[in-house]
Amino acid sequence: MSDFAVLGLFDSADALMKAIPQVKAKKLGRLEAYTPYPIHGMDEALELRRSPLGGMVLAMGILGALTALGAQYWISAIDYPIVTGGKAPWSWEAFVPIMFEVMVAFATFTAGLGMLLLLNKLPFFGHPVLNAKAMRAITRDRFALALEADPELDAEAAKAALRAAGATDLEVLPFPEKGPFLTSDFILRSLGGIFVACAVAGIGMYWAIKLVPTLIPITHMLEQPKVNAYEGSTFFADGRAMLTPVPGTVARGYLPVAAATQEEAAGLANPLPRTPEVLALGKKAFTNRCAVCHGPLANGQGSLGAAYGAKPANLQAGQFQAGGDRPVPSGPLGPPQASGAASQAKPGPGSGFPPYPDGKIYWTIVHGKNAMPSQAADLTVDERWAVVHYVRALQRAQNAKDEDLP
Amino acid sequence: MSTPATPKTPALLLGLTALGTVGVVLTGFLKGSERFWANWILWFLFLFTLALGALFLVALEHLVAARWSVPLRRVPERIATLLIPVVPLALVALGAVPVLYPGARPEALQNPLLAGKALWLGLPFFSFRTIVSLALCLLALAVFVKGSLSQDETKDPAYNIRARRFAPAFMAIFAFVVTVLAFDWISGLTPEWYSDIFGVYLFAGGFLAGLAATTLVVVRLQGKGRLAGVRPDHRFNLGGFLFAFTVFWSYIGFAQYMLMWYANLPEEIHWYRERLEHGWHGVTVALAIVHFAIPFFALVTRDAKSDPRRLRGVAMLMLGAHALDLYWLIFPVLGQGVLFSWPELSFALAFLGLGLLWVRRSLSWGEDMPVGDAFLRQGLEFRL
Repeated sequence: MSDFAVLGLFDSADALMKAIPQVKAKKLGRLEAYTPYPIHGMDEALELRRSPLGGMVLAMGILGALTALGAQYWISAIDYPIVTGGKAPWSWEAFVPIMFEVMVAFATFTAGLGMLLLLNKLPFFGHPVLNAKAMRAITRDRFALALEADPELDAEAAKAALRAAGATDLEVLPFPEKGPFLTSDFILRSLGGIFVACAVAGIGMYWAIKLVPTLIPITHMLEQPKVNAYEGSTFFADGRAMLTPVPGTVARGYLPVAAATQEEAAGLANPLPRTPEVLALGKKAFTNRCAVCHGPLANGQGSLGAAYGAKPANLQAGQFQAGGDRPVPSGPLGPPQASGAASQAKPGPGSGFPPYPDGKIYWTIVHGKNAMPSQAADLTVDERWAVVHYVRALQRAQNAKDEDLP
Repeated sequence: MSTPATPKTPALLLGLTALGTVGVVLTGFLKGSERFWANWILWFLFLFTLALGALFLVALEHLVAARWSVPLRRVPERIATLLIPVVPLALVALGAVPVLYPGARPEALQNPLLAGKALWLGLPFFSFRTIVSLALCLLALAVFVKGSLSQDETKDPAYNIRARRFAPAFMAIFAFVVTVLAFDWISGLTPEWYSDIFGVYLFAGGFLAGLAATTLVVVRLQGKGRLAGVRPDHRFNLGGFLFAFTVFWSYIGFAQYMLMWYANLPEEIHWYRERLEHGWHGVTVALAIVHFAIPFFALVTRDAKSDPRRLRGVAMLMLGAHALDLYWLIFPVLGQGVLFSWPELSFALAFLGLGLLWVRRSLSWGEDMPVGDAFLRQGLEFRL
């Protein structure tokens, strides 16, 4: 078995540099220099190839920027477009800082790992020079030129060449008996494996959730401790999940409307006073039950309408206004809104529509209208009338006049 | 290194400068004072920031005790002497203050936002700040450049110590002067608008212009066989500086834009709205291309940073980009769209010609390298 390398030791950097062309001319093997510090001109003397690291870093930096751009574009403009801060889903300005950071991350990781693992093959604990007797001198004050096996080496010829070039000491380095445990190849393969595993897991998870949305454990709240429709229950003797009301009884707070049609309901008056407490109750009920479709301003611009194409009524439209002169404020918030009968007397000023009585709104809350379901099971009588007050307040707030200013 | 004979001034350069000067005078008579002063401010700031950038490069060497740049130092020193002709140009530019600067006009007292700052924005204090800035610049010029030129003869190392002691103080002076230029002369055109990063933005542009001029002159002198001993390694550092500050300028410029775009506050965003409408959008995009995209990719490789032809092209582009940057900062306030016609061309000819004539003349002042500097040998030995 041939040897790995022959080291020739020189006493100065100049002697080493002078020796390089002489030894190189003999073409005995791969030339390598080991010095205590970097020497200018060494790259050219050894004819080392230009490092491809710069190009790799540039390519990976551009790839990083494009990756960040693509990911953000896909998330923000395609997969889950949400208007944030009044900006369009495709707002490239907002993407630039993240593109910059990802570009820097890709570039620096490429520079660091590419330099260490890919190009310099570090760590290399088993390198034969590490076990050389000359190692101390090389790291201190002497300069070594090595002729290395490529793949074979004639040790005697190499010795002669190095000595002829002026080497003061020679050392033959055998191949190490066993390979080192931790090599750059092993680390590169491990990192590659981890990357591929992460990519497969990520993409696989994405499609698994997409194709099987209720895959356990991600059941999206479908699994709940409750009895679903048409499911049996052993809790009550008749097998139902809830007891049916005793015939002829009504639950407290849920009196039925004393009107058969919406037109009849127009005569109902709001029994609640217009106090801050009632309006707070109305706001809470409206926000919980109504705003999702009708919008927080009752103008029909709710979030569900936009998502599902429904067209909830715009309660700010002229046809729904109470109309008539506003009640004169007395006390903190003025007297209760005039009843439907009073409102009907005068059409809304300038709107061209007859006034819309409170009772009709109440009737709609109870029975629903068109696509709107009944809210009777979820809102008590008081809550319904409070919502009516609150809707009136919203209408007035959106049509404020100069006199309303304090 | 013998001092070369004073170069003969080419007739073409003199002729073009004279032609430009005629155009400058005609602009004043034919095109109204606003356009005249806008052009004047643009070009006086161009020369001022360029010279200041060069002086900053000189001061940086003394501050951080850099050695690689010693052989090149005479070039930015000579370019920095442009500060001398800038003094009369700046004093004349004060005539623009009552015309173009709303804070210094009598109507400002009607505007509650400006009336409160009347003392600061008014002509007397405005002029005072500018004159103080000019005086501080001349002081720095005397310490750095005059001292360096006389060291050629005396070989007195006391200059190095004096310059190094003065360099930290110069950094404070530099910050003050750049801030005055940015906030008074440019941001002052729209006094209701302000951006905290504006001084840094102008610094980045000005330093780039100074670097570009230095690089251009170094490459030019090397082409003529002067500056013997300056190696590609030195040019590589200049190219690296140019590359780095291209990115720095873009970073600051984009950060300023993005924050204002995101917040979308009415008192801030109108400044950018003006520059993204009425034809200015094209200028904004062009600025991003010539000030960032082209220089970035032109200088990104290792060889390009020391290649003289590439450096010359990028440096000339960068000087043009700096002029475009100032144009983009100043001209939208006139509210007349993208103005470019013979007045702008005349001003460019006159002021660029003046600057070139001055720099050509300055190339005969002192030796080409600071031969009296004890660190010159170390600088020539610089390798990457």
